[in-house]
Amino acid sequence: MADLDFEMKLDRMFNEPPAMPDADAFTKLVEMRLDRGWSLRQIALGAAGLIAGLVGVGQILGSRMVLETAAAATGRRAEALGDSLGNLLNVGEAAAALPYGGQVIWMGAALGVMALAFAVTRAVE
Amino acid sequence: MAGGRTPASLHDVELAALAAAGDRPAFGELVRRHGSAVRGLLRRMGAEASVADDIAQDAFLAAFERVAEYRGEGTFSAWVRRIAARLYVRRWKKEARFDLEAEAADEGHGGESLAATRIDLDEALKTLSPSERLCVSLCYGAGLSHVEAADALNTPLGTVKSHVKRGLDKLRLRLAPETGAEGESAGSMGHG
Repeated sequence: MADLDFEMKLDRMFNEPPAMPDADAFTKLVEMRLDRGWSLRQIALGAAGLIAGLVGVGQILGSRMVLETAAAATGRRAEALGDSLGNLLNVGEAAAALPYGGQVIWMGAALGVMALAFAVTRAVE
Repeated sequence: MAGGRTPASLHDVELAALAAAGDRPAFGELVRRHGSAVRGLLRRMGAEASVADDIAQDAFLAAFERVAEYRGEGTFSAWVRRIAARLYVRRWKKEARFDLEAEAADEGHGGESLAATRIDLDEALKTLSPSERLCVSLCYGAGLSHVEAADALNTPLGTVKSHVKRGLDKLRLRLAPETGAEGESAGSMGHG
């Protein structure tokens, strides 16, 4: 019984925090390190988002170039196939009316980057 | 903040939940409440003040990363103290400051000047050998069982039990001299 009492007493003594005159300074240090870690994390996430966006833009441009190359390689057959498909789906005129130039690609890429940045911002928040 | 209440008015579990959602001021309040307990434990385990503070900071940062795992089983203070104790043990093992098993064989260490005077825990712990102090603090300060302490220290269970028993015997003589003579089988209950 004495053993148990003593062990309970020891538990209590260990649970009583000693007085630390610099407790506030310690708390501030931890908070500072937390803030620093948080800022670094935000920067890292932002950088990762930017890199991902750039990679995405690169992929979009690259895939367009690949498509163009493939289209050129297939030549008339591809064109004929496209025409026939357009006729089949009755969207030939609409497709021809699209301003399918560099501006559209860049706008699409910019929207992609904005969407990515938005997603990263939400994730951080 | 929850319902417009200040961090100081919230319970630890509420603060931990807020911290898990990224509320750093809430976690700052937890540090304010329990920083001294964690630093105190590390010093009681034998760490120098500056080392204890470094490890305590690391422990709180680790706790912030894992705060979602704390669900209110046991006190928040005990939860962080366990994290801190394990960090200290990891550092202690790297530095290999003393050999726990070698000290286990040295029966006479540290008990030669025991006086039947009532002194506080910190002073009493200074009369223990480093190994006894570490084992007793791990089991009673950080709340580890003997098995967990042996596992953390990578030391045989018998060695840890032996250190705890001898440490408790010495502490009993210091802290409760009136029961010291009768309590010869300390360490056999509770934390095993």
